[in-house]
Amino acid sequence: MSTTEQPAIERASIDVDIACVGFGPATGGFLTTLSRKLMNDDGTPAIESKVMPGMPLQVICYERADDIGFGVSGVVTRARGIRGSFPELDPAQIPMAAPVLSEKVVYLLDPIGASRRSLALRIGDKFLRSLNRTLKVAHDAVELPYTPEFLHKKDGLVLSIGQFNQWVGTQLMSSGTVQVWPGTPVGEALIDDGKVLGVRLLDQGVDRSGAPETGFTPGMDIRAALTVIGDGPVGAVGRDIDRRIGTPPGNEVREWAVGMKFVIEMRPDIDLAPGTVVHTFGFPEPEIFGFFYVHPGNVASVGIFVPSWFDCPTRTAYRYLQHYIQHPYLWRYLEGGTQRSWGAKSLQESGKRGEPFLAGDGYARIGESSGSTNVLTGSGVDEAWTTGVQLAEGVLELLQAGKPFTRENLAQAYEARRRASWVEKEARVAEKSRDGFQRGVVTGMMGMALTAFSNGRLSLGIHPSKPCEKLATPADFYRGKLMPEEIEAIRRESDMHGSSLHDALMDRCGWPPIPHDGTLLVSHQDVLLMGGKVQAPAGYADHVIFQDIEVCGRCGNRLCVEMCSGQAITRSLEGAPNFDREKCVFCGACMWNCPETVGGQPNLQFKAGAGGLHSAEN
Amino acid sequence: MDTILFLAHTEADGTLGKAALEALGAAVELKQPINGTLVAAIFGAQAKAAADFIASCGAQRFLTVEGDEFSQPRYATDAAACEALIRAAGATIVIAAATSRTSRVLAGVAHRVQGCVDTHVTSIAAVSGTITVTRWFYRQRIEGSLTRSHRPWILLLDPGAHAAWQGAAGSATTETVEVPLPDALRRTTVRSVVTPPADQQTIRPDANLLFVAGAGWTKKQKDGQTHVPEAETIILDFLRNSKASLGGSKSLVDLSGENQAALPFMGHLNQVGQTGASPRHPKGLSTCCHGEEPHTVGWRFIAERRAINLDPNCGWARGKADVLYVADAFEVMTKVNELLAAK
Amino acid sequence: MNQLFHIVVCASVVPDPLQTLEPVTGANGPSLKNEMMLPAILDPWAAHALYEGANLARQIAGSKLWLVSLAPKAKLQQVMMTAAQKVPLQLVAVDGPCGGFVDAHQTAALLAAAIRKIPELDFSRLLLFGGWESASRSAGVTLQLIGEELGIVDQFQGVDAIKPQDDGSFEVLERIEGARHQVSVCTGPPAVLGWATGSLGEPRNDPQVGMANMRSIMPALQRATAGTIAPDGLQYSNVAAPKQQRQTQIVKDKPADEIAREIVQWITQE
Repeated sequence: MSTTEQPAIERASIDVDIACVGFGPATGGFLTTLSRKLMNDDGTPAIESKVMPGMPLQVICYERADDIGFGVSGVVTRARGIRGSFPELDPAQIPMAAPVLSEKVVYLLDPIGASRRSLALRIGDKFLRSLNRTLKVAHDAVELPYTPEFLHKKDGLVLSIGQFNQWVGTQLMSSGTVQVWPGTPVGEALIDDGKVLGVRLLDQGVDRSGAPETGFTPGMDIRAALTVIGDGPVGAVGRDIDRRIGTPPGNEVREWAVGMKFVIEMRPDIDLAPGTVVHTFGFPEPEIFGFFYVHPGNVASVGIFVPSWFDCPTRTAYRYLQHYIQHPYLWRYLEGGTQRSWGAKSLQESGKRGEPFLAGDGYARIGESSGSTNVLTGSGVDEAWTTGVQLAEGVLELLQAGKPFTRENLAQAYEARRRASWVEKEARVAEKSRDGFQRGVVTGMMGMALTAFSNGRLSLGIHPSKPCEKLATPADFYRGKLMPEEIEAIRRESDMHGSSLHDALMDRCGWPPIPHDGTLLVSHQDVLLMGGKVQAPAGYADHVIFQDIEVCGRCGNRLCVEMCSGQAITRSLEGAPNFDREKCVFCGACMWNCPETVGGQPNLQFKAGAGGLHSAEN
Repeated sequence: MDTILFLAHTEADGTLGKAALEALGAAVELKQPINGTLVAAIFGAQAKAAADFIASCGAQRFLTVEGDEFSQPRYATDAAACEALIRAAGATIVIAAATSRTSRVLAGVAHRVQGCVDTHVTSIAAVSGTITVTRWFYRQRIEGSLTRSHRPWILLLDPGAHAAWQGAAGSATTETVEVPLPDALRRTTVRSVVTPPADQQTIRPDANLLFVAGAGWTKKQKDGQTHVPEAETIILDFLRNSKASLGGSKSLVDLSGENQAALPFMGHLNQVGQTGASPRHPKGLSTCCHGEEPHTVGWRFIAERRAINLDPNCGWARGKADVLYVADAFEVMTKVNELLAAK
Repeated sequence: MNQLFHIVVCASVVPDPLQTLEPVTGANGPSLKNEMMLPAILDPWAAHALYEGANLARQIAGSKLWLVSLAPKAKLQQVMMTAAQKVPLQLVAVDGPCGGFVDAHQTAALLAAAIRKIPELDFSRLLLFGGWESASRSAGVTLQLIGEELGIVDQFQGVDAIKPQDDGSFEVLERIEGARHQVSVCTGPPAVLGWATGSLGEPRNDPQVGMANMRSIMPALQRATAGTIAPDGLQYSNVAAPKQQRQTQIVKDKPADEIAREIVQWITQE
């Protein structure tokens, strides 16, 4: 059996029937479906455990975060799959959930004049402003007269994914048939001859380099007939399997985005109906899309997506998010509000093109890391949930037939189900819809429209670049705004003070300083605790590792520092940047933004770790 | 009409502690607006002498429980003594200082006399003739004012929350309350009190200054390295030179519990805030403490506050400290030590 | 020969400490805004009591450990997902309110009733553990009240250590003023120990412990009895998070020397 290393230490192991990695919507869908069929009404096992004969099936799920409610997503979903699992669903049962009431797509003009807009866009903006009366340009924004069909989430739900996960977890716990263990990160898969035999949990009681200390507890081996990987787009186990077992030829995740959001309690005089949904584009940069969803209780989720095709050499999100919420179109609702929560995550934006092997001997992949996200409709949660349901149906079929979890059996029972479903059908339509963004935002939107209206038959035929290939040099990106020598001077100063480059660059480009108010607009450091409540338990190794510090020393970009959602990676005077795992929110953006590779892998290794956000409202 | 009982124990030296005199101050102050009667009750060694010390407080009666068995702070005998005193006084309101000794027993006593109890009380006032008590909830994070119709009502006043009673000593006419002592109440024996050696003593409740060492001291500094031994020297030098009391935030204390590179002299007893102490000092200096407000709610009772932090926008210093120095605490505190040593 | 103990740990469920707490007043008195949405943890000091209890039970063969908790069932389920991985325990669950404004006397009565019903509990071996204060009501009274309900007259608060002696007695270290410890010896159980932090770190998550615990925890949660608590002559006139806002003077770009001089002057003036 192979693991990534062969330690001489003795490890305890336990046997279960099914081990799941990561508790998100996909695993939620899997466990919800599975748990309903495990026991008979008379309390006897409907399916007997192989590892504990006479007992019901032993199903365990391990989650890295310290609570099952610490997930992040800015969610508006059609909830087709979710409603399929809960036909009688009353959204009022789920805190922060509301049925979608209205949807708008809004183009945000730049009220500051600091964003980087092409000449064409500037002319367009001017033109729009001149049409003030006809188009109702108010609050520096244009509400599009209609929402394209593919963006519609009618009959859907506005959710907090944290609260949704918590609610699903409560149902599961009440069933008493499956176990979910948060605060228990899985380190890697146990693989033997291409077969996944289970997972190995992370070592505890180690120093930051992973060396044993007092209280050393080697990560336990959890052996399972079936390992279900639902650990999200940057999950360590999914990537471990991709690396060691391989991926289907031609499939690769080349497109990513960082999604970052606030949950804001609005002023009492704001009276927006729960279920109000606004999608925006155009500001703070044309490449940055945004959202504003209203939950019950006068609370809104507001956030942005910073995509990997944005050629900005810093790709920062937090400062942009602060400018975003201050856009007059949104600020009229948000001014005077109180920040309740903050969070960030990576989004796999390649969709089906980033699909790994969906199943192999002893394992199956579900959710976002299995390429389920629909990149045209920007929908992921419902698709993820549905893939979990599909796997559970397949697994039950195999269990009831007494068939083993081989690649062939899982392909037939799970993969075939998925291929025949709406998830696959719509993913195929969406597959190439975003290619145009490689050439800029206008081309991108045209490409999306083309794909949508041709039902996926037409696309712009531009092959996506890798995130690092899209990076502009600071000189190129800031051409016309800053001289190269000015940029160099700012960089030197930032290096000297260990401060971030992007803040200084944005200041110099005319972005106004953030008027910190201590309740909504707070420093990046403060948002970690006020909003994200970020923390990490002691006794785990650092999960961000710089393989070759000389490579880091030569790296001019240090994008890992600039884009770090939690300011966990900071500049050091020489060599590799500093990493403070107590600030990491596990967005994983450092991994896909690292432009350097060593031995075919990113120089920055983003491994399994412990801790992260402690807010359950994201 | 309420009968207010001031209930106190003597200290090891037979005197009444400062906290007890503060509780007496609160009891005396409450008497008039509610038109109540004041009774003083003291238990422990030399209770009679202590009663004499407060003879002029205006109490109608002075009750005592004395004897060797009551000199040691022990639940069984203290609870029996307090119960007997409350019953003898016919008390409807009991006011005591929240010392470790009273805090150990008075909730249990409330149960015995079919009363109710509130602790962490910061003020006792008569609002339109109704006794209204303000106390903390959620570890000093929420403050609530409440009234109760139930009697007797036992109140434990936090030390430092009220001015101490001042008055002339005299000769109090005391009534000794007899408390039966079956063997069942003598199963516990107090053997000793352990005090940390003077050179390891970093908690000084009477110090003028609380020095809060935040987790930043053990983190990587600008050069990418940690400087824990240096931090240790700076902090210990400062404590020696300034005679300040040392407080820590939760994460720093937890780190020490986890055998990480942490400050070896920082233990759980140093912890202030959320799961630690909320000490009262005239001044507080917080260093490298970014982002630990829920844990450093211990700040609440520090009158003048200053902080040294590298982040000018630090939301936890802003609005909470009087002065925030945006500077490197390693540098500043080294200089502070030099200046203090030269004095 | 040490005598074996039956250790009952009372532990409440409290909001995860980094959450923002905001009180609201409703028809039933004050509560926390979004109380059911806030992520919860096992009360920190009570958790220390649990770890100390488990350690003691492990050291003295034949000892038993129960965790008795009163909280809304959904919260208990959530907290057990983490707590049950720490130490082997048997859960006794009472489904009821656990917020900081809930009356301690009635809470204690419910918990005492639940303890009395534990079938295998030998009262003469009982060590009743808990935190010396919770992070919610933070009054330090519930455990004493339970002790009294159960008629236990040997009680200790702010406990940092228990050392069983060969003669069946045990020594207890309690925190007292001035960072000192009072050392007492009690002839034996039953006794109440309200723990401060003790000396043990948080145990590592142990999946084996978790799996074993869950077999008894799931049924215990399903069996949880409902406990109701009504206000008893208690009225809150005002509940608020303190809003003391200071005018902070921010001193930037001042050399360390100068700042040091200013600080020294400030700390040395009376």
